[in-house]
Amino acid sequence: MSRFLRRHGWVVGLSALFVVLFVATRIIQPGYGAGDFGSLVRAVLPYAFAVAAQTVVVIAGGIDLSVAAMMAFTSVTAASMMAGASEEYAIFVVPLVLALGFVLGAVNGILIVVTRVPDIVVTLATLFILQGAALLVLDAPGGGVAEWLKGLIIGTVPIPGLPDAVTAWFPKALLLLVVLLCAVWIPLKRSRLGLSIYAIGSSELAAFRSGVPVARTKILAYAIAGLFAAMGGLSLTMSTGIGAPIPGPYLLASVAAVVLGGVALGGGRGGLLGPIIAVFVLRLVRTDLTLLAIDPNVTAIVEGSIMVAVVMFGAYVTIRSRAS
Amino acid sequence: MKNWIKMGLGALGASLLTSSAYAADYTIGVSNTVQGNGWREEMICAIKAQALASGKVAKLNIAHRNTDAAGQSEDIRNLISAKVNAIVVNPADPAGIQAALAEATKAGIVVVAVDQMVTEPSAYIISNNQEQYAYLGAKWLFEQMGGKGNVVYMRGAAGASADSDRDKGFKRALAEFPDVKVAQETFTGWQQDQGKQQILDYIATGVPFDGIWTSGIDNVIVDALVESQAPLVPVVGADNAGFVGQLNSVEGLKGAAVTNPGSIGGAGVTLALQILDGNKPAQQVVLVEPSLWENVTDAGKAQLKAAADPSLSPEWPVSISIPEWTTYTKDQIVACKGPGE
Repeated sequence: MSRFLRRHGWVVGLSALFVVLFVATRIIQPGYGAGDFGSLVRAVLPYAFAVAAQTVVVIAGGIDLSVAAMMAFTSVTAASMMAGASEEYAIFVVPLVLALGFVLGAVNGILIVVTRVPDIVVTLATLFILQGAALLVLDAPGGGVAEWLKGLIIGTVPIPGLPDAVTAWFPKALLLLVVLLCAVWIPLKRSRLGLSIYAIGSSELAAFRSGVPVARTKILAYAIAGLFAAMGGLSLTMSTGIGAPIPGPYLLASVAAVVLGGVALGGGRGGLLGPIIAVFVLRLVRTDLTLLAIDPNVTAIVEGSIMVAVVMFGAYVTIRSRAS
Repeated sequence: MKNWIKMGLGALGASLLTSSAYAADYTIGVSNTVQGNGWREEMICAIKAQALASGKVAKLNIAHRNTDAAGQSEDIRNLISAKVNAIVVNPADPAGIQAALAEATKAGIVVVAVDQMVTEPSAYIISNNQEQYAYLGAKWLFEQMGGKGNVVYMRGAAGASADSDRDKGFKRALAEFPDVKVAQETFTGWQQDQGKQQILDYIATGVPFDGIWTSGIDNVIVDALVESQAPLVPVVGADNAGFVGQLNSVEGLKGAAVTNPGSIGGAGVTLALQILDGNKPAQQVVLVEPSLWENVTDAGKAQLKAAADPSLSPEWPVSISIPEWTTYTKDQIVACKGPGE
């Protein structure tokens, strides 16, 4: 038990924080219930995929500034392809857009490996390129989405044998999020590639000397990030019914959640669960600030302060436990 | 006997009326997605001032940040969770927030969109007539240019419905003047710095132009012309305090301000309260018509002089109230305080 706590302390702490916040929300708004939780999950979706993309890259020792732009680009691509098309056509669009994300991510990785230009510079450049490309696809928000895709994140999951009061707490959006993240992350974590990603993030030189194919690993890490970003772009289109070419506030939010989720920005340490719970915490903080009707010009300051306080507290606890 | 019943019903009706008329217990939610823009700040202040002046609002719940349609949907759903009675929303996108607005209506919340259209049919809309805004200004500008020449077309934010409506009005005026050509089309994003940079870039190319139409990013354009000593061509803008001041004072500047009151936010509060009190408007969409003040004729100059208000922030529209829709005083909107603040 203590070994479990030591290994997953950060995630346990964050989960506790989420529960405390949830109770606080119930106190602020006694009527806060299952339907509102469903709204929270739908708000979490695009952020969660953005942070998943960022997490993989950060663990590999890099950083991806093009996450939000890639989401915008994949979102407008999906929305413009699906506009006026049949419902069945979307079955073809979804894998295509996911593949597009994977390839664009891989291009990021290849540029970094081949040119040896730092990650932050290359992905900053692709941020601008993708932003422009998104405007070429759609110069204004528009396009459409298949109804069945929209339906994937609306409503709750009917679980046979459980009463409605319980299934109301399982929104479809949560199921979609868990399934997609697990489908990529669990096989990755258990594979040689997953181990290599942690290895190059921890020390590129040591990994190279141990025979890890550094270049290939880095390219694949960025490609997987691209795949997650494409999922984020699709989730944006699914939740709004359109594609918007101007990137939303997902880049900085993804870095924030990665840090809050206990992933070392230097690379090599952390997991996916922490950052995802961190996204839930950050969105619930936003909900609470709205419920409390805090002056909107103060809310951003409050959000930032909470983040830095949690990270500092976490670091303090970690140092203390190491000392003892 | 019948009279007794009538009197009883009358008394009952009167008591119902008075109880609703004095109910100062509504909570109104607000959702806005552009922060740090003078027009939007005036809109928020008008919402606060009107809520206070109406005496019917106990609390405002304002979600006001820079975000996209997905973020606005999140804010609207949070306002639903907060169990507000009405939501006044300036939409980030007409279609992108439809699902969230439909959920709000389903939860029994009155939804009023201000400034721009939304596609959700259950929502009420009170907006400045944006197509007419662009048509009035563009027509005046093309007349000033003598019906020919090159115009710089400085639009708002790509994809905003106010921008696409204005584009329709601009194109309608353009069709009436076949010899006027659009020399350059830019999107300022309704950001002062961006608009100024764009016009400076264009001046630097040396390509001549005969007029500038702006979507409300106006005073920095005049600044740029003056600073770079470019010819002072006619400029059309909105009724922002800074631009109105320039039309009165800058030597040799010909221009016109088209009214686009940010106080439409206050009108949105009034409409929402009317609906909550059971007085639904005849139509779902209520349009406020713009007017044009120019500094070429004496009558126009007099209008501009009367409208100028140097005490306001230069980015604030000078039309800080809308007759029949807002009841607050100038002090109240400038103070920018809502109920309970």
